[in-house]
Amino acid sequence: MALYAFLLDLSRCIGCEACAAACIAGNELPAGAQYIHLIEQTHGVFPHLTGGFKNHRCYHCADAACVKVCPTGALYKEDGLTRLNRDVCIGCAYCTDACPFNVPQIVDGRSSKCDACAATTKAGGQPWCVRTCPSDALRYGERREILAEAHARVEAIRARYPKARVYGEAEAGGLGVVIVLPDAPEAFDLPANPQTPLLLDVWQKVVQPAAVGLTGLSVLVTGVAAIIARRNHMKELAELRAQQAQTEQNAGAQEGER
Amino acid sequence: MGKVQLQISRRTFLKGALTGSAGAALALGALEEAAAAPSGKGATPWYYRGEIKRAYSVCDMCPWRCGVIVQSVNGRVYKIDGNPADPKSRGMLCARGQAGASFMYDPDRLRSPMIRIGERGEGKFQEVTWEEALDAMAQKLLAIKEQYGPESVAIFGHTSGEFWFTDYFAQAWGTPNASKPSSSLCTSPREEASLLTVGLPVGGHEPVDWEGVRCVTLIGSHIGEDSRNTVMQDFTRAWARGAKVIVVDPRFSSAAAKADYWLPIKPGTDTALLLAWINVLITEHRYDAEYVAEWTQGFDKLAAHVAEMTPEWAAAITELDPELIRTTARVMAEHLPQSVIVPGRHVTWYGNDTQRMRAVYIINALLGAYGREGGIYFNKSPYIEAYPHPPFAVAGSSGGCSAEPGAENGELPVGPSGKARADGARTKFLRGPTAMQELIEPMITGEPYPIKALIVYGVNLLHSIPNVPRTIEALKKLDLVVAIDVLPMEHVAWADIVLPEATIYERFEDVWTVSHKTPYIALREPAVEPYADTKPAWWMARELGLRVGLEKYFKWETVEEFVATRLQSIGYTVEKLREEGGVIVQKGKPYLSDFKGASPFKTPSGKIELYSEALALAGHDPLPVYTPVEEPPPGWFRLLYGRHPVHTFAKTQNTPLLHQLNPENELWLNAEVAASLGLKNGDRVWLENQDGARSGPIKVKATQRIRPDAVFMSHGFGHNAPGLSLANGKGASDAALITRYALDPICGGAGMRVNFVRIVKEA
Ligand code: SF4
Ligand code: SF4
Ligand code: SF4
Ligand code: SF4
Repeated sequence: MALYAFLLDLSRCIGCEACAAACIAGNELPAGAQYIHLIEQTHGVFPHLTGGFKNHRCYHCADAACVKVCPTGALYKEDGLTRLNRDVCIGCAYCTDACPFNVPQIVDGRSSKCDACAATTKAGGQPWCVRTCPSDALRYGERREILAEAHARVEAIRARYPKARVYGEAEAGGLGVVIVLPDAPEAFDLPANPQTPLLLDVWQKVVQPAAVGLTGLSVLVTGVAAIIARRNHMKELAELRAQQAQTEQNAGAQEGER
Repeated sequence: MGKVQLQISRRTFLKGALTGSAGAALALGALEEAAAAPSGKGATPWYYRGEIKRAYSVCDMCPWRCGVIVQSVNGRVYKIDGNPADPKSRGMLCARGQAGASFMYDPDRLRSPMIRIGERGEGKFQEVTWEEALDAMAQKLLAIKEQYGPESVAIFGHTSGEFWFTDYFAQAWGTPNASKPSSSLCTSPREEASLLTVGLPVGGHEPVDWEGVRCVTLIGSHIGEDSRNTVMQDFTRAWARGAKVIVVDPRFSSAAAKADYWLPIKPGTDTALLLAWINVLITEHRYDAEYVAEWTQGFDKLAAHVAEMTPEWAAAITELDPELIRTTARVMAEHLPQSVIVPGRHVTWYGNDTQRMRAVYIINALLGAYGREGGIYFNKSPYIEAYPHPPFAVAGSSGGCSAEPGAENGELPVGPSGKARADGARTKFLRGPTAMQELIEPMITGEPYPIKALIVYGVNLLHSIPNVPRTIEALKKLDLVVAIDVLPMEHVAWADIVLPEATIYERFEDVWTVSHKTPYIALREPAVEPYADTKPAWWMARELGLRVGLEKYFKWETVEEFVATRLQSIGYTVEKLREEGGVIVQKGKPYLSDFKGASPFKTPSGKIELYSEALALAGHDPLPVYTPVEEPPPGWFRLLYGRHPVHTFAKTQNTPLLHQLNPENELWLNAEVAASLGLKNGDRVWLENQDGARSGPIKVKATQRIRPDAVFMSHGFGHNAPGLSLANGKGASDAALITRYALDPICGGAGMRVNFVRIVKEA
């Protein structure tokens, strides 16, 4: 089975938001939902400036934290992409907390994020955002072709941008959005080393069954259960994070000793 | 029919649509399902569950006009995409084009003809039938014509049906006072400068030969924020190919962020920079000498004129580094003739704009760009006949963006009672298309003769014409104000009669013809039925024509018939055009080599006139001169305005999809200045201009991206029409703060960057 991916060329993106608009129009997103946000990046002091736009959108991580924490299977992997089935989402918001990029939002009580235009691409079309991007900053296709294109583009812009690099080849297990970055990730407000919280696997195996129990309940008495689930979840997640921080510290300390 | 106020509570559009059609009911059922599960596992969206109908048309969300394919199911549009065969869209659309359906399904739309029952400006109306509205309008127009002559009716128009009012009806009726804001409030300096210098208009589609360009210079042109689709495509592709990019802008625009050289110029000093560039090109012998010898005249005078205008001279004026000025001139020259200063679009800045644009074209000529591959091509209009109407009562009316109406012999056209334009052409300014802002004064003073009626089609009078208080005064004085629009914009409240228009995707429209490198003709057919009781502009113009004795111009009964007649002249039918993908692309003559030695330059000399005899004769500077503009006093900032990529003029702020992407504008304020004023990002402030006009509140964007002496905001916000339920009260209006303007003595353009504002923390 082929893996699919997007190319996002932040050296070309001109911040026009055509992609964001096409996504809302083509997917008839409910009011308030938006899968792409353009975030201006500026560095330096007038008049010595550099800048561009970060396209804040789901990066379709191979090792997707959102999928791992999703208790209902609303979020799932397919063809290398992270899909979302809003039908079965219960709005527990675990995904919004787990995503290392802060992507999913709860809109109308359900998770809301890019599903890589499942309906359109399965009908043989290109994703709406890709089709309309006037600057050819977006492409969609088989991941290895997208990776090759990304590397070729990075080479082509190196004269202009010495720090240019491909982002997402290995990050978070390999992103389904391969980014041509003209500068260091920090300059585009991207984590240099995005990580699925270390203990998510534990979470998936041990904590989630409890959450699923709550899920069953929530189907019966929706609102209340969601609140309980959320409250428990927040506590659990805080604990996990504390443990993780502790583990990292220990690891760091060990490294320091060596 | 009941009383309505423009403050209509927000109702769901679908509810309205349902009362009319069973098809919509079906679509609604499916739609609700889709909304519940837009991407459910295996769920098929509603729009794949009915038969998809495709219609070809042309986007109307901005005046650039990209070709589209509109897909609809069961009478409801679900997606609008670029038509791949269209030379402008090439299958893509900008954010605004993507929001075409959102604009059409805006629940705030005008839905019925209305007649005013309150005071003007109060916004109290009675819904009436089309017969009642048109009869009343016709009666009043005839009475005004009887007493003052047909010239006393002014017609303002913009958007895709403007032709029917500002051109067809205006000429048939006999008024030379028809005007489009795209001229004197936007492009007329660049058009007149181009006519004076190379004898050719720039035209609606700037003829930059992007495919081969190797160096692009932008002056204030903020591609990316100005999101004209094709220009963004061309610019980013040229950039990706490695073309050098030079951006002159007081603001670090999205385009500046891509530039190889950014020149953060002091506003108002561009002509000094241009003259210094000319100085470098000439003194360092870096111009295309052979081309200049063959195709230009006046070079020696130009060389003498700029001899002292060194980069150091300009640096003191522009606050730029002289070495940066020198280097950029050299970079331009290294890439000639594939090196172009882009003409820009909105260039009515300081009132001396025709001269600045002449300097731009002089550089393009020194670079040998005109008629060269990768430079500036010669555009050509597509071949198709006009509809064979009887001779009009006045020849040439609004003039569009690129020509002076009916001025071939140098004389202005006159109306049936012997009056020429009332805008002061030939007295207040030399030449150019009808200047909209200069038609306001005659409405108030009656000089040179009274203008008594105004038909306004799709122009938001209070967001486009400078000096809003004056416009309001004029609106109070008129005997008749008719507003034709899609939405209850603020000026609609000032109308006596309101006519609601069907949007482009709800109506058939005349074919769209584009003067271009590859001239082309595009079909505009409807995708769905008109909303509520709305009608197309052609229908309104015709019905009105029949009521005011202009039957002979309206022998055709439908626009389809009108279009079929035109298409016949090139051996086409609507069906054939549809089968061929909605677009007919013809061959152009883009390069000098296509003219086989003959001159394509339609100046008196047949050459590019670096030195303009015509201007000298008329008493204007024959070579561009830098004249300083007034500077903001301490504590005040020059008000700059421009575009946000998801909005057009004051037209789209209420479009739900675009409102979601950008609900309000921000005040760009230099970060250090903001800190010194104790302001931070997100603070809300008011702005007050030199005349005491206020607008706001507006959110501060404290940024390094702008000079300390200017502030910037995107145009078109600060709506105060209660009927615009999303846009009302959001952001500040640049138009409200532009109470003064500098009239360009050559082209009649209104320079609007001459206003100063100060920041007020409390309302
Ligand atoms: S459409 Fe393309 S250029 Fe425009 S914002 Fe999106 S990615 Fe950037
Ligand atoms: S970016 Fe966030 S939402 Fe998208 S796949 Fe990764 S974890 Fe999930
Ligand atoms: S792939 Fe589809 S769903 Fe995802 S951002 Fe693009 S248009 Fe939206
Ligand atoms: S540039 Fe955008 S709004 Fe303008 S016509 Fe093209 S798609 Fe429509």
